[in-house]
Amino acid sequence: MGGQEKSSSNSNSMQRVKVYQLNDEGKWDDHGTGHVTVDYLERSEDLGIFVFDEDNETLLLHRISSEDIYRKQEDSIISWRDPEYATELALSFQETSGCSYIWDHICNVQRNMHFSSLNNNTFHSVNSELRELPPVELSTLPLIHKTVYEGRVTDKMQLIDLILNDQEFLRKLMHLFRLCEDLENLSDLQMICRIVKGIILLNSPQIFEQIFGDELIMDIIGSLEYDPEVPHVQQHRNFLKEHVVFKEAIPIRDPLVLSKIHQTYRVGYLKDVVLARMLDDTIIANLNSIIHANNAIVVSLLKDDSTFIQELFARLKSAVTPSESKKNLVYFLHDFCSLSKSLQMVQQLRLFRDLVSEGIFDIIAEALQSDDNRLILTGTDIIILFMNQDPNLLRSCVVRPEGALLLGLLVKGMVTDFGDDMHCQFLEILRSLLDSYTLSGGQRDSVIEIFYEKHLGQLIDVIVASCPSVTSHLSRKEMGSGRVKNQQRTKPEILSNICELLCFCVLHHPYRIKCNFLLNNVADKVLLLMQRREKYLVVAAVRFFRTILSRHDEHIIGHIVRNNLLKPIVDAFMKNGDRYNLLNSAVLELLEYIRKENLKPLLKYIVDSFWDEFVKFEHLPCIQSFKVKYEQCLENGGARGTISVSDPRKRIDERALEKEEEDYFNEDSDEEDTASASASQSRKVQPQPVLSNGVSASHQSISPRTGGLVDYDDDEDDEDYRPPPRRQKDNPDDEEATMDSIRLKRKLVPKDKEPDINKRPRLNKNLKSKDSVFAALCSTLSQAVLPSKKSASIMHSSPQAGDGDENAHEQNHKDFTPTRGSSDSSSSDDETHKEKESTSPRSCSECVQSTSDNRQLGSEDSPLVQPKSSPEMAVNGS
Amino acid sequence: MSDLDRQIEQLKRCEPLKESEVKALCLKAMEILVEESNVQRVDAPVTICGDIHGQFYDMKELFKVGGDCPKTNYLFLGDFVDRGFYSVETFLLLLALKVRYPDRITLIRGNHESRQITQVYGFYDECLRKYGSANVWRYCTDIFDYLSLSALIENKIFSVHGGLSPAISTLDQIRTIDRKQEVPHDGAMCDLLWSDPEDIVDGWGLSPRGAGFLFGGSVVTSFNHSNNIDYICRAHQLVMEGYKWMFNNQIVTVWSAPNYCYRCGNVAAILELDENLNKQFRVFDAAPQESRGTPAKKPAPDYFL
Repeated sequence: MGGQEKSSSNSNSMQRVKVYQLNDEGKWDDHGTGHVTVDYLERSEDLGIFVFDEDNETLLLHRISSEDIYRKQEDSIISWRDPEYATELALSFQETSGCSYIWDHICNVQRNMHFSSLNNNTFHSVNSELRELPPVELSTLPLIHKTVYEGRVTDKMQLIDLILNDQEFLRKLMHLFRLCEDLENLSDLQMICRIVKGIILLNSPQIFEQIFGDELIMDIIGSLEYDPEVPHVQQHRNFLKEHVVFKEAIPIRDPLVLSKIHQTYRVGYLKDVVLARMLDDTIIANLNSIIHANNAIVVSLLKDDSTFIQELFARLKSAVTPSESKKNLVYFLHDFCSLSKSLQMVQQLRLFRDLVSEGIFDIIAEALQSDDNRLILTGTDIIILFMNQDPNLLRSCVVRPEGALLLGLLVKGMVTDFGDDMHCQFLEILRSLLDSYTLSGGQRDSVIEIFYEKHLGQLIDVIVASCPSVTSHLSRKEMGSGRVKNQQRTKPEILSNICELLCFCVLHHPYRIKCNFLLNNVADKVLLLMQRREKYLVVAAVRFFRTILSRHDEHIIGHIVRNNLLKPIVDAFMKNGDRYNLLNSAVLELLEYIRKENLKPLLKYIVDSFWDEFVKFEHLPCIQSFKVKYEQCLENGGARGTISVSDPRKRIDERALEKEEEDYFNEDSDEEDTASASASQSRKVQPQPVLSNGVSASHQSISPRTGGLVDYDDDEDDEDYRPPPRRQKDNPDDEEATMDSIRLKRKLVPKDKEPDINKRPRLNKNLKSKDSVFAALCSTLSQAVLPSKKSASIMHSSPQAGDGDENAHEQNHKDFTPTRGSSDSSSSDDETHKEKESTSPRSCSECVQSTSDNRQLGSEDSPLVQPKSSPEMAVNGS
Repeated sequence: MSDLDRQIEQLKRCEPLKESEVKALCLKAMEILVEESNVQRVDAPVTICGDIHGQFYDMKELFKVGGDCPKTNYLFLGDFVDRGFYSVETFLLLLALKVRYPDRITLIRGNHESRQITQVYGFYDECLRKYGSANVWRYCTDIFDYLSLSALIENKIFSVHGGLSPAISTLDQIRTIDRKQEVPHDGAMCDLLWSDPEDIVDGWGLSPRGAGFLFGGSVVTSFNHSNNIDYICRAHQLVMEGYKWMFNNQIVTVWSAPNYCYRCGNVAAILELDENLNKQFRVFDAAPQESRGTPAKKPAPDYFL
């Protein structure tokens, strides 16, 4: 309406009119020619039509009426019955543009009059005598268009009320649309399209209810095909009618359900396709809530229809149902489960439980055995929906004997090549099955138990089988027998998924994995991936190795050193040379981690064994500091006092350990100094990789110099180790008890007893009796001592908040602390722990880095939490 | 014409690839990206582009203004996805170009190249809608983990999506990040992708975004000095004029999504550097309505419920 204020600037010819008056004989008298304007009447807020002749004499003065008295004829005449003149008057315009201009004016003035009078009325009592929508006719389309688009916010509210009150308005508009379409009247069709868009933009849920109803929605969509802003007429109805297929896997009889199903699809189509470009967030939110509500209605009506569900499962289970329709039923089931997200949590959970008792997991197990990848994919997607709702639904299924098949299928799926169809659904499912952070216990532990007992080996075997130089690399004894020969080519992405699952296991089941690693040389086998040609697998293996280190497990570290496990990593790093790529960064990060965490045995092992090679990279600051750290280590062997005194506190700050722990460390430092000083005297003298009888030889043959600096447990043991009495007594007892329980029942082992399972065989095999007591202590201490925060993840994909388990560790830690403090033990575990806490002064960057490592853990890791979302919205960018 | 060239042509018409093609493309890209460094070296001449955010047709405008790849050497500073209607096509086109011309286009990671963020800001939903399953989203987000974190042009211009980190004072410190991970909630890698320069901050300040930091002019001065670079080029923040210098020309923001979110009314810019590192900003507008196809968000053509 842009020109309203500029009427004076309009060209003369546009304003030129002849004024006619109807005389008594029914003829039009010419009252002269002049220029027409719309302006305020004198001393009034009312607007009038003025016609002045050449001499500025008033030919006509007419107060614009709010009544519907004006008529526009032939685009150039406006006529009305004038109450003051008591006769018909008419203005004949020289130009049609002038006519429509004044016509617009009149309409606008009328509308404003309506609204002001409406506003004077009592709240919400819309008086349709005062204000009604323009009649729906071809000729009034421009007026309707204006009514929809012009006006202030209050006008819009009024407009919504009017549209809702006038039952016929929308129906008539759609009737008009069909008419125009028959007439192929493009310009009016475009006008209607704009009107419909305007009505949608009013964003009224009640109007949506009307226009999305079965009666109108297709015409509404049709009218939107004529969007003048889009170059070509769209074919939305054609798409909806010809291409879209409503598949009825099982007949739905309730007409309400059917109607909602169709409506949902069409509203979604409007939102995503037809109107995608013009909708703002609030309208989208309203449309989404329509869809959401519809889904909830559909799902709950269907689920409460017991015959429907029964029929569904009867068909799914029936042997006579043809496989094609069975597939469709599974697809339907997927949609059904997926839409149930619109239900309230409780209802959805109830529904899922019902589906479980109907046997949905059997159906899925069957689907997973199909050779149709899409069906398998659908099966896994359904499982993921269940896992997201409550992992225990599946857990309680797979712990039962009849569920073993499904778990087996899931693991098998993980290592099966499905071509292009599957990505990591199986990984995702296994991860949430094995997630140790979920609170509820029993079934979870059983699942983990079964997995380790029956399935982990399968996964490892796949890695072993797909790495080329297996036999030559691994030490002779550890290889499984026949499987190496069969060098099947597993797809690299499968190997990468296995690697990721193993990393997850390391973080979630530290003790089980430790048992497995030590007994079965899992770590060694995973490192076979270092031989692979695909660099991302090589890096994945490095990352796996790095994840193991994050456990700070003495035994594993000892195992690494003894078996020279870093060799393949160093080799790969060297082979990579100066190339600054992901492998380079991953290995350097690994070294940084060892340095920052002060993993002494590794520091020494690495420098002693590999410095000749690393020296080439001494220009890298990270390698330099690694060497410096190593030298400090050696020095500290002689005079460690200074560092240990000052540094624990620093580390504590960084970790944000609790106050009491800080106090403990402060008190403890003196003792520690004495102990370590005496310990250190013997350290250099007696190289003795204690824990590894058989293996140390082979290790030394690879890198002869290593022995001297690796494990010094033994000499400390001899000289300084005075076992804390309580501890010595308690622990073996504990262990015995645990072992008994394990022997009796290999299920439901309490979490914190786990290490004992794996320790036992080792002890029997490797250690002398005195050592075994010591090792038992070490192992218990190492669990107890490790700050749980540190021990958690570097894997950001690890799914959920780690409350239960982490707390357990924390508890452990605190329980053991006093014991440790009071004993003057300088057992190696204790020692190393101290060392970890004590670090040389570090740069600011390191602080941040290491705190960040810690802060990433636990609850902040959950990918479902969206910490960034609100701040993100608050800022313009990105 | 090779498959890849055909796919590029197809993507240029804003037609998404088949799921299997996406998978193959991502695997190829993974092999290329794993060889890139956390601070990827880039030679001049090069054209630097900021956020795109799935505004496919506007990116086509960008290529019109800047020249086609591989004729022009490009560096994209991340945030390819989310918000716009065509995140899938936008990212896949860039990725296909990367695979086809690895030395002529560099893609570094933005804070939206993340599993968490894309689940909130549209890319996840778009994949689900266009493919019916989340697999394509999974492939793409896996590739995000491999994207480099920053770039260094002729040793003189440091380019990153967000900004600096208190954990990083030298470029060498970026080397020891194992970048193959979801963008963490804090730490150096997070900061590089999330931080913003801010006038009123002296040193480091808390970021209202909830991740990364605000950093002031003194931080930039000392960073540029100790790393011997001329200036920092970054994206991450909408600037109405397309680009914006700060701190006495020590850092510049480049924004390449015109009319951001199809309603912000801003212009976009790219920064062209010639072989002597002479700068020229090219400002461009959103693609005209006529050149845009209908939104290719068609839902699956069959439904049960």
